[in-house]
Amino acid sequence: MRYLIKNGSIIDPARRVATVGNVLVENGKVARVIDLADLSTEQEPLGEGIEVINARGAVIAPGFIDLHTHLREPGEEHKETIATGTAAAARGGFTTVCAMPNTRPPHDRVGVVRQVLGAAREGGAVRVEPIGAITLGREGKNLTEMAELVEAGCIAFSDDGSPVSDPAVMRNALAYAAMLGVPIMSHCEDLKLSHGWAMHEGVISTRLGLPGYPAAAEEVQIARDIALAEMTGAHIHICHVSTAGGVALVRAAKQRGVHVTAEATPHHLTLTDRWVLGSLGEPNEQRAPTGRGKRKHKHDPELALPGWLDPTKIAPYDTSTRVSPPLRAEEDVEALIEGLRDGTIDAIATDHAPHSHVDKECEYRLAAPGISGLETALGLVLTLVHRGEMDLVNLIAKLTEGPASVLGRTPATLRPGSDADIVIFDPDYNWVVDTGKFASKGVNTPVNGQRLKGQVMLTMYHGAIAYRRGNFGGSTGILQQASRLEGILEDE
Amino acid sequence: MTTLTNTTVAASPATNSQSSPPRRRHVLDLDDFSRDEIIEILETTASMKEVLSRPIKQVPALRGTTVVNMFFEDSTRTRISFELAAKALSANVVAMTSKGSSVEKGESLIDTVRTLQALGANIIVMRHGESGAPYLVAQHFHGSVLNAGDGRHAHPTQALLDLFTINERLGRVEGLKVVIVGDIVHSRVARSNLWGLTAMGAQVTLCAPPTLLGPAALWTATWPNVTISHSLDACVAGADVIMTLRLQKERQEAGLLPSLREYSRVFGVNAARVKRAAPHCLVMHPGPMNEGVEIMPDVATSRQSVIETQVTNGVAVRMALMYRLAEVS
Repeated sequence: MRYLIKNGSIIDPARRVATVGNVLVENGKVARVIDLADLSTEQEPLGEGIEVINARGAVIAPGFIDLHTHLREPGEEHKETIATGTAAAARGGFTTVCAMPNTRPPHDRVGVVRQVLGAAREGGAVRVEPIGAITLGREGKNLTEMAELVEAGCIAFSDDGSPVSDPAVMRNALAYAAMLGVPIMSHCEDLKLSHGWAMHEGVISTRLGLPGYPAAAEEVQIARDIALAEMTGAHIHICHVSTAGGVALVRAAKQRGVHVTAEATPHHLTLTDRWVLGSLGEPNEQRAPTGRGKRKHKHDPELALPGWLDPTKIAPYDTSTRVSPPLRAEEDVEALIEGLRDGTIDAIATDHAPHSHVDKECEYRLAAPGISGLETALGLVLTLVHRGEMDLVNLIAKLTEGPASVLGRTPATLRPGSDADIVIFDPDYNWVVDTGKFASKGVNTPVNGQRLKGQVMLTMYHGAIAYRRGNFGGSTGILQQASRLEGILEDE
Repeated sequence: MTTLTNTTVAASPATNSQSSPPRRRHVLDLDDFSRDEIIEILETTASMKEVLSRPIKQVPALRGTTVVNMFFEDSTRTRISFELAAKALSANVVAMTSKGSSVEKGESLIDTVRTLQALGANIIVMRHGESGAPYLVAQHFHGSVLNAGDGRHAHPTQALLDLFTINERLGRVEGLKVVIVGDIVHSRVARSNLWGLTAMGAQVTLCAPPTLLGPAALWTATWPNVTISHSLDACVAGADVIMTLRLQKERQEAGLLPSLREYSRVFGVNAARVKRAAPHCLVMHPGPMNEGVEIMPDVATSRQSVIETQVTNGVAVRMALMYRLAEVS
């Protein structure tokens, strides 16, 4: 099948391109990128067997790469499968997901990795890149057979969720991974300092009487891992940085030349610990500019609507807000956004962590931590663009070029000849999150029922349509502007 | 979920001065109680205390109402207090204890609640080790939930009985200097008293070592007029009320204190310290006491101690709350 994606705003951060134009897809590849200013192509016949996708008003970008996804298969298929997780990824605009190894059994041996890759080939909507476990059984003791795992297809190593506590083991893991040229992705948490935690330690935890996870529990571990990476010359990737102190540590290490990269999640970039208070707090507390940083806050009147990310819509102690690391304080969110802007944080990664009702319908501290994030990632992070805190090109870079560089890949791009992994999204599309429509089995998200601005319209993986919202782009004989299409598209 | 919101949405110190919510379905914490509502409850409590002084300590107010005491934590005294309160109002009372065992996860908690509902329970009195558990129950129960203590979070009936006792003895709460001393960070009694005392205009000082308190700013952000102190000697000077909290021995084992001996020396309420307070100063304790640790035996039994009165008033306060909740359901 051939596709001509017409009249969209092409944003290709890897090539520093932002223009209005057409993209021609043939044989699973990007065949041509046609700038609208180039009138010579207008008259060219397109030939037979081509579908024209009208992308007027929408953004055409390389497919997003998620460095941090929990697909739960094998072992916890009641929470998610590779099929449902990758379908959710496609709905979120992701064409590559890196699967974290904390499955049952974990990705600590070649057999499991082959099984994951096989299931992805058969039932996956998008590409799955497995991350191997650092240690056998994720127990923090014996290193896995990393060389063989890399041969089998692992692109990085992590004991996500069960951080390697023993610094000597971490040192060896880093040194060994450096030989293989792959990063260690570290979930930085000092388990002694965070012991028994329910939420971020701060004003809200003090009020609610919930045991806290202090920011320092993340920071001391980031400091340790940076020191070990510096010593071994290895590439350390800091997963889901959530604290201002963590951002500062990564920034300083980068300046020293340590091979460190970092990611932040959409929820840590947009939500705070105040969400745990739910309806107990003042209604509609808006994030006020702090005056730090130089960015200007655009005042989009729509952002002041009551429906805009309003924590009072949920009950107090709502377990959908429990996530690891926890939602942090306002200052931390500010610092994360600053870090994203200045390049300290390389990538936005979802930490998509689907859970079943059983894991969440319980007392707050006992609930499994995690947010189902693939399908709301874009809508959440576009909030930063709509608020004027981040420009759209840079934001897309954090979903494409940034994560590709963490993996040491040639950047995802729309260059002719590259794989046709493409996302088309409408940055201004207004919608209300409804977990009932999720492709993911995980409906655990605090933003259910919230209004977001920005939605994926179509995801193309290897030149085939992996997800399409309604009849988006269909030829109706009139010039469509996607953002005005609410009535036609509905929310399916 | 919406009904829960309705009863809790007015919650904030800023809105406390406004009129009370017309119909309260649950008592989960004091954070959503206005001054007026607290005064009404204290007035109802006085009537209930009068009932308890009669030869026949029973009125038919809750006849036909089923109260379930759902206690997931050991607490004989609180459970008996609630049971006596419900019986004095002629309610049918059932006790359900299941500490720890099979009820580990909320799935079972929700199941339990649904079962109790199907059995016709009208009011659930619940004690639970996890902060926030009553909010979960309130979302799944059509009747009323009365929080009898959840984790470190809230113990509203204790705070109300403390307010009643202070008001009964000193004639007012407003303007009084109240020192809460002890294991603040782990204390639901301290948190509920912070809401209640500040709503009533008392001046509250929290006194504890930093390991049992945390940074001052974490408290003053929610309760702006509260003072933080690490010196009991300094803050008892001129105090009208000294409220002592129970120190659990596990705190020392967890490394939060060098020793119970040192804790007692620095933060124990002893006669010398009480002497520095106002002559009429009340010494309070929510019980059970570790005499010789947070409070000295001679102080606990002194003329200024109102610890037994607190226990007596507890029954009356719980009657008042159940009575008001039954009016709604």
